[in-house]
Amino acid sequence: MTTVTLQYFAQLREQAGAGAEQLSTAAGSLRELYTELAARHGFSLPADALKVAVNAQFSDWSRPLRDGDTVVFIPPVNGG
Amino acid sequence: MSRFDISGEPVDLSALRQALQDAGSGGFCSFEGWVRDSNEGRAVDGLDYEAYEDLARAEGELIIQEAIDRYGVADARCLHRTGSLRIGDLAVWVGVAAAHRDEAFRACRYIIDEIKHRLPIWKKEHYLDGDTAWVACTHVHREHEHDPVHHDRPGPPFAPDYSRQTRLREVGAAGQARLAAARVLVIGAGGLGCPVLSYLAGAGVGMLGVVDPDRLDASNLHRQTMYDARDIGELKAELAKRRIAALNPTVAVSVWTEPLHPGNVIEVFSEFDLVVECTDDMRSRYLSNDAAILTGTPLILASVYQYEGQLQVISAKPGGSCLRCLWPDEPAPGVTGSCAESGVLGPVPGVLGAMQAAEALKLLLDLPRQDDGVLFLYNLLDHTSQRLPIDAAAGCASHGSCVEVAQSAMARARGDVGLSLVFERLDDAVSAGFSLVDVRDPEEIATDPLGAPAREIPASQIVARQAEFAGRTILLVCATGRRSDHAVSFLREKGLLNVRSLAGGLNALKRSAEVSS
Repeated sequence: MTTVTLQYFAQLREQAGAGAEQLSTAAGSLRELYTELAARHGFSLPADALKVAVNAQFSDWSRPLRDGDTVVFIPPVNGG
Repeated sequence: MSRFDISGEPVDLSALRQALQDAGSGGFCSFEGWVRDSNEGRAVDGLDYEAYEDLARAEGELIIQEAIDRYGVADARCLHRTGSLRIGDLAVWVGVAAAHRDEAFRACRYIIDEIKHRLPIWKKEHYLDGDTAWVACTHVHREHEHDPVHHDRPGPPFAPDYSRQTRLREVGAAGQARLAAARVLVIGAGGLGCPVLSYLAGAGVGMLGVVDPDRLDASNLHRQTMYDARDIGELKAELAKRRIAALNPTVAVSVWTEPLHPGNVIEVFSEFDLVVECTDDMRSRYLSNDAAILTGTPLILASVYQYEGQLQVISAKPGGSCLRCLWPDEPAPGVTGSCAESGVLGPVPGVLGAMQAAEALKLLLDLPRQDDGVLFLYNLLDHTSQRLPIDAAAGCASHGSCVEVAQSAMARARGDVGLSLVFERLDDAVSAGFSLVDVRDPEEIATDPLGAPAREIPASQIVARQAEFAGRTILLVCATGRRSDHAVSFLREKGLLNVRSLAGGLNALKRSAEVSS
């Protein structure tokens, strides 16, 4: 199991009901992690509509997870 | 029949009210003026009204047309009495029918205020003490809430004083001259655009372009700080121009009251040194991105969601990154929340707009910057921020370059022009063989029914239900044409070529119905 910190923005924050959480996960990659979270929180956005960043760097969805990673999922927003 | 009438006899009000009933109206507002038993401290027994009828009728008709145009209401009527009236008699009646109550109230208020103010009608008051007096109904001159005159009042001669910014070592007189020579286009004069325009005008940017097709709504005022309650119903681009003229008369302003489109965006961007994208519209954001890349014009993007914002500066230089490096395709309709759908705290676009203004000035003044190729995220609830460097090599560069990606996107978008069709009535579209699909939300449809047979598929469900669009020739309809246009483009990208959008949406239909009635 890997322990990661998650930060949520925009709709994801709303749907998760929190701006951040810590999680122990068996997910091997960022994409698996998002699939797990989408099921848990009912995220409506597909992964392809999002950007993901790990430890303040944009990242590829296939990147493996490591203990202590801070993962941020970022949807595009259009309010003005 | 004329919508303004003068009568020497009491009138059947139910007939007036009846004349305004229509299936598209969800709100009706009326005002009645009655004869009161006192005026300015004197007891009144009754009064006589006299009108210069020809002029009063013409002017009354004009006032009603103004109210319809200004507030977009479905219809309005007004009746003014003349002759002898007793205490409690009805002297004037105004009725307005509209899709929603807000514009009905406003238009009703506008009509009665203007009637009182402009009509050549006089009243002779009979006082209990036997005396009589003529009172002009227009004797009270006051500035109405909707009166734009306050914007145009000439002020004293103005000499700008930029000393507070030229004192900055990095700005100085040379910097001020750069600002005076600069041309900046601001797309969207809303929550983000207000601070951008205010700061850039205040700073003495020589020429500002303002693009905004919308009219000011009461729901804008909590975040759009350039406007006030008297401005409701007016075009924001025009209001912004007046506000900038009041703030700094030395700034030249050009306005566009239609959205930029693939056919003109390149030409327009080429007239400017810098573009600030402040709309709440994903399509505009992507169009601006592509035009910035293709014209080499720097672009400052920002957007907000509830308590958060995103900021991205696109330098449009070779090797840089763009919006499509992050999110290659415009999100499907309904995926991203708007201020109207998701809510937004007023200061959030204020903060992000102020940041855009700061970025604009930094770019124009060539101040030290480390902002290109970075996505900034700000959360005003917990004061966290993220500075995320964009890896240009992993973005558009993997499909060629930002320029190549923008070129093909622009070519696709140009192919979309002509996909929205103008009809004067929905029946005409049905006769032309279109099946109607209403993409508005159920609440909107409940308050403003379409009035024609249509399937209801909210824009947010277009993606999930795209299979339902196969096979027939379909016309998508929404309130303004924005969502239906967007849905058509999206469906075309999925290979569905049988779908069109009603140009300008239901609002355009209502306008053409008014013109022809």
